[in-house]
Amino acid sequence: MTSSSTATGASGLGPWSAIVLLAPLTVLMFAILLYPLGLTLWTSLYDGQLSLRAYAELASSTLFLKVLRNTFEIAITGTLVSLVFGYPVAMHLAAQPPRRRTACLVMVMLPFWTSILVKSFALVAVFGNQGLLNQLLGFLSGGQINLPMMFNRVGVVLGMINFLLPFMILSILGSLLALDRRLILAAETMGAGSLRIFWKIILPLSMPGVVAGVLINVTLSIGMYITPALLGGRQDMMVANLVDFYTRQTLDWTAASATAMALLAISGLLVAMLGRVRGGLSGGPA
Amino acid sequence: MNAPSASAMVQLQAVTKRYGEFEALHSIDLSIAKGEFVTLLGPSGSGKSTLLNLIAGMIMPSSGRIIIDGRDTTTLPTNRRGLGMVFQNYALMPHMTVFENIAFPLQVRGLPKDEIRRKVTGVLDLIQLGHVAGRKPRELSGGQQQRVSLARCIVYNPALILMDEPLGALDKKLREQMQLEIKRLHAELGITMLYVTHDQDEALTMSDRIVLMNGGRIEQQGQPDTLYFKPETVFSAEFIGSSNLIPGEIAAGEGGTVTLKTALGAFPVPAPDRPFKPGERGVLLVRPENMTLTDRADSTSIAGRIEDSILLGGVVRHFVRCTDGSTVIVQELNQPGRAGARRDETVRASWTLDHARLLPSPPTR
Repeated sequence: MTSSSTATGASGLGPWSAIVLLAPLTVLMFAILLYPLGLTLWTSLYDGQLSLRAYAELASSTLFLKVLRNTFEIAITGTLVSLVFGYPVAMHLAAQPPRRRTACLVMVMLPFWTSILVKSFALVAVFGNQGLLNQLLGFLSGGQINLPMMFNRVGVVLGMINFLLPFMILSILGSLLALDRRLILAAETMGAGSLRIFWKIILPLSMPGVVAGVLINVTLSIGMYITPALLGGRQDMMVANLVDFYTRQTLDWTAASATAMALLAISGLLVAMLGRVRGGLSGGPA
Repeated sequence: MNAPSASAMVQLQAVTKRYGEFEALHSIDLSIAKGEFVTLLGPSGSGKSTLLNLIAGMIMPSSGRIIIDGRDTTTLPTNRRGLGMVFQNYALMPHMTVFENIAFPLQVRGLPKDEIRRKVTGVLDLIQLGHVAGRKPRELSGGQQQRVSLARCIVYNPALILMDEPLGALDKKLREQMQLEIKRLHAELGITMLYVTHDQDEALTMSDRIVLMNGGRIEQQGQPDTLYFKPETVFSAEFIGSSNLIPGEIAAGEGGTVTLKTALGAFPVPAPDRPFKPGERGVLLVRPENMTLTDRADSTSIAGRIEDSILLGGVVRHFVRCTDGSTVIVQELNQPGRAGARRDETVRASWTLDHARLLPSPPTR
């Protein structure tokens, strides 16, 4: 608030400028976000009369609970895999000289420039049953080995980390770059080896980045829709796919809306946690 | 190559450090005795920090050898040199308590828990900070943080402690207090200390020996007294203390004295130890506190006019404008009832022969 008022003050357009400048976006957001959201909330609460029946049914629906469990399993697996792969990349990037790091960051961001559909089909071409990897494995093992890596849980996670990794890497990189290099020099003069320096100094001091990365990853992945639809199997339905199922297969708009609102609530909770974690930790190891 | 000496804690043999074309250190030879407190003093860019980082192992020399405690450590990684180091920004681990910070080097050495507790408590008492053991570094003042950082060093009793401008971030009063505290710890523990600073007062206060650096070379080294009273170059004279420098040409001398012909007259100067030739350029040095204001005209005085007098508490500093437009500074002790020199008063700044020193003319750049 304060910053927006100083910004308009600085532009010298007077007190009305905030309203004038923000009006187009406000109208747009209302039309494409708030109105449909309100409609969804209304639909979830009203089927002839106002009631919480749809939510009560969700809470006792084995399908919903199973899908919710699925969703969290997949989100947490994807996040952990992304953390395990992302942390070393972030460490490597942090050790590069700035120019080289910028070049490497472009490569980290590359997945964002590709359509998720194209990426999904590319992953099938590489990891599918007849994909490059399995053909190579089959060739090397004389047709003995064929790993099912697509249209199952592995496929979903592979597809997800492709999207999640940049968020994890950037988040951890931020923490690592903020780490005072002299702390590591000090630890070295005291005789500490690289492993101890990592576990006792680098890892704890990069925790704000790790926690932020994990929360961003979980938040992003619980809402995944296309990836599980394209790369998962029947057992890998996630909450967003369930919404799709209700709207297109069973035409139960009330259940679909209630499911969507439940997903929104869970995501909102995670985002709120993210804000707390960031606010709480950023004041710490400065 | 000299053999490593048993009494030396650190020996640098022809250590050179180049960054591309730039030579940061030119073939440095330096030996530091066990238990000695040596200060590397110099302006920024003189190579003093580079030298310290070479000894710490954070950078590798381009050539030369570094011997620490009789062991050739030229290529040894930092964590195997067995050193202690105190940084200007303290470099305390922000996520650890004071206790954990000090315990860290002991854990690295695999000491049993109760021994760690005993030792950490011991040094906390030594630096009188036992009451903050459970706090995080950011909850301490700058001076307290630096004492913790010192404690973290002395707790594992390294043979050599390196200090890189450790008091640079503290205010003047705290800095003076910490200087004495570091000196006390040095005297009590007998650990060899190598201290880097650009502050001449700090160097004079603390050191057994000062190594004055300039442009990647050792300009002069010696006890603080020697550097102050017997500077060998104009750079040394100007860097340590304040100085009146009068350039001139050496004329023939007789006995122990030579005559320097300057724009302000010809002055007798004690003949320097180094060889010199008549006709050579030279610079006369007289420290301001060795000059007095008189009205007596003799061969070791300069006529001038008082331009300004400033009171610095215990001393008074007079700025005397000479006939050629240059200024000499005369510093006298302040005493009650001292007759104040008046501005524009014509005076003579005078000194005695043995307080004058003839320095070689600095190389023109």
